[in-house]
Order: sequence, then structure tokens, then C-alpha cells
Amino acid sequence: MSLQVKKSYNSENKYWYVELSGEVDVYTAGQLKDAFTNMIEDKKENIKINAQDLEYIDSTGLGILIGTLKRLKEKDKNIILTNIRSNVKKLLNITGLDKIFIIEE
Amino acid sequence: MIENQLDEVKLSVPSKPEYVGVVRLTLSAIASRIGFDVEKIEDMKVAVAEACTNAIMHGCRCAKDSKFNIDFVSNGEKLTISVYDDGKGCELESIQDPNLNEPKEGGLGIFIIKSLMDQVDIESEEGKGMMIKMIKYLGDDI
Ligand SMILES: Nc1ncnc2c1ncn2[C@@H]1O[C@H](COP(=O)(O)OP(=O)(O)O)[C@@H](O)[C@H]1O
Ligand SMILES: [Mg+2]
Repeated sequence: MSLQVKKSYNSENKYWYVELSGEVDVYTAGQLKDAFTNMIEDKKENIKINAQDLEYIDSTGLGILIGTLKRLKEKDKNIILTNIRSNVKKLLNITGLDKIFIIEE
Repeated sequence: MIENQLDEVKLSVPSKPEYVGVVRLTLSAIASRIGFDVEKIEDMKVAVAEACTNAIMHGCRCAKDSKFNIDFVSNGEKLTISVYDDGKGCELESIQDPNLNEPKEGGLGIFIIKSLMDQVDIESEEGKGMMIKMIKYLGDDI
């Protein structure tokens, strides 16, 4: 039951690249929230999330993504999700969030 | 095997975030033992975790040793999972479906549970805790 957040800033193309692996739930959500908060306070730029190893997320994690996107939108920036697993994709579809975030196959 | 035999597993869980993962693992083990496929197990994992998260976050956390309960009951054709707490409860009318065109940080949990499970019943009264009972059928979706 753990979450790893690996982030780096691509200064050439001005975006954050984040690799999430493990599970985002009520226990690990704080860690994700802190990571995003720090990133945005540093540079409010697009956040590209590689979700290949994100095995699980629930409404606690989705709420953090929504909150982060709202702050990014103040500067017209986005959250881009790539390599999403089918179980995570299903949740994004159900909640309509697939239309709010940019989903790259 | 005797048909319609009821297998029951009951858990009493500390109201602490770190135990939601333990419940997910327990659910996975029970559901695969009954013969659910991976996709249905994933659905149930999320639904049960949402209910547990609510019991922990919205039920009562005042007492240091507060707990909530989960019953898993299977009868060969379906798995019934009940998550209940004796926390502060809420008025069910106040729970509304989220507006999907205007995403908010909260209010997705029960909507997700209803979307992922075949049948969901919620009982609550203010001051009397909350009980959410959800069913997933083993066979094809109904
Ligand atoms: N176990 C519970 N005890 C008391 N209130 C609850 C419980 N579960 C849910 N609720 C109420 O229902 C609302 C909706 O729950 P949910 O859809 O999971 O959204 P969220 O948890 O993000 O608020 C909660 O905000 C809360 O008011
Ligand atoms: Mg919730």
C-alpha cells in the first residue's frame, strides 16, 4: 500500500513530468497533494502524468487531481494523463473526468 | 457444494486511513476465492474503499479507538458487502449526484459506488451512523 511520486521539470518545453506508481487512496493522498502543491508553487505549468504504474486511484485521488487542475486553469494550464490502465480509465469515464483532463493514449 | 450456502466474513476495522488498503486486499482475496473476474474485483475494490473512506472521514473519528464494520456475504451467485459505522450519520436527501460538467473536489464517492456495483442501498439517520450495502453478481451484468 504505497505510492511513489517521481517528478521532474522539463525546462525546454516547460512542463512537469510526473511518474506515479502504486496506489492513491485516503492514506497516500496527502503525499500526492503535497507533491502537486509544491510543484505549482514552484512553477505553474502543465503537468504531464505518466500513469503506467498507477494501479489504483479512488475519489480521494481524483479530488486532488481536480483541485490541482483548478489551480492550473488560473493560468490556462492543463493536466495531461498518459498510459492509463483500464481500471483507472473506467473511473475517469464514469466521473466524466476524461473530458476535463487531457488524455493521451 | 450445497447450493445457496451462505459464506460470511466479518471485519471490525480501526477508523484509520492506513487500514483501507488492508480492506482492499481482504476484498480481493474473498472475491477471487468466490470466482469473480479481475474487472469485477477492481470495481468492488474501489466501491468498498469509497465506503470505508466515508466511514473514516465522515463517520465518527472522535473516539481514539473508534471502529467501523464490514460484512462480506456470498451465496454462490453474488457477493454482498455491507460497510457500517456508528458515527454521526447524515441526511440522505442531502447527498446529490455530482454535476459532471462542473467537477468538484468532493462528492464523487457514493456516485462511484452506485456506478460500479449492481445494487446499492444506503441507510442513515443523523446521529445513528451510516450503512451502505452493495451487491455484485458473479454472472453477466444485469
Ligand atoms: N459514513 C458516513 N457518515 C456520515 N456521512 C456520510 C457517510 N458517508 C457519506 N456521508 C455523507 O455523504 C456525502 C457524500 O459522500 P461522497 O459521495 O463519498 O463524497 P465525499 O466523501 O467526497 O464528500 C459526504 O460528504 C457526507 O456528508
Ligand atoms: Mg467519500
